[in-house]
Amino acid sequence: MADALIAVALLLVAVSATVAVVTRDPVRQALVLAVLGIVLAVLFTVLQAPDVGLSQLAVGSALTPLLLLLTVRKVRRRAQDRDGGR
Amino acid sequence: MNGWLLAAAVVLAGGVGATLWGVATGPLRRRVVAQNLSSALACPILLLLSQGYDRPSYVDLALVLALLGPVGTLVFARLLADELAGDPPRAWGATWAAAGVGAGVVLALCAATAPGRATVKLLLTGALLIGGNVVASRALAGGFRGVRRG
Repeated sequence: MADALIAVALLLVAVSATVAVVTRDPVRQALVLAVLGIVLAVLFTVLQAPDVGLSQLAVGSALTPLLLLLTVRKVRRRAQDRDGGR
Repeated sequence: MNGWLLAAAVVLAGGVGATLWGVATGPLRRRVVAQNLSSALACPILLLLSQGYDRPSYVDLALVLALLGPVGTLVFARLLADELAGDPPRAWGATWAAAGVGAGVVLALCAATAPGRATVKLLLTGALLIGGNVVASRALAGGFRGVRRG
């Protein structure tokens, strides 16, 4: 039973990581990365490493998307300002 | 064969697999809803794992996720407000289904564990999970329009 759980969690991590690489739009990539963080935390818990899972949850579910989206927003604003100045 | 682990595997394969499909394809509104649902479904999975492995301290993970999952969704709702304003995502059926899964798991665990501090912790996790999930869904659906002008 434990092996089946590990297999399912590993499969989900592999699929979500592949999707995160394949997605081109940074905003959608941030959404996939949030899901990847949660699935990774579940994988760490299944592998009996809850401390790693705890830090992964803290970083992956809220912090990484926030940083990515703030960066996207700043880059887009700068591009708009430059286009408006011409 | 451990029934708790089996339930966790089923929810992981069915629920999180479906949200992964939702977040990988479709328009932006569907992806945002799928991301919200994935955190709402992972929390009951972590609770089931803690019961299945017989490690009560693993409940901390579910507690942290119940607290931080809606925060992540609120980040998306706030920073993607302009993109989502045109046609706001409404998925109350899926939201209440995920909340029902969470409530069912919490109640089953409360019935399985001896009453005491662990029960209070479980009930707190369940309340945070369902409350945060509903607030996040409402924010995604544009329920807090005044906040957008922050």
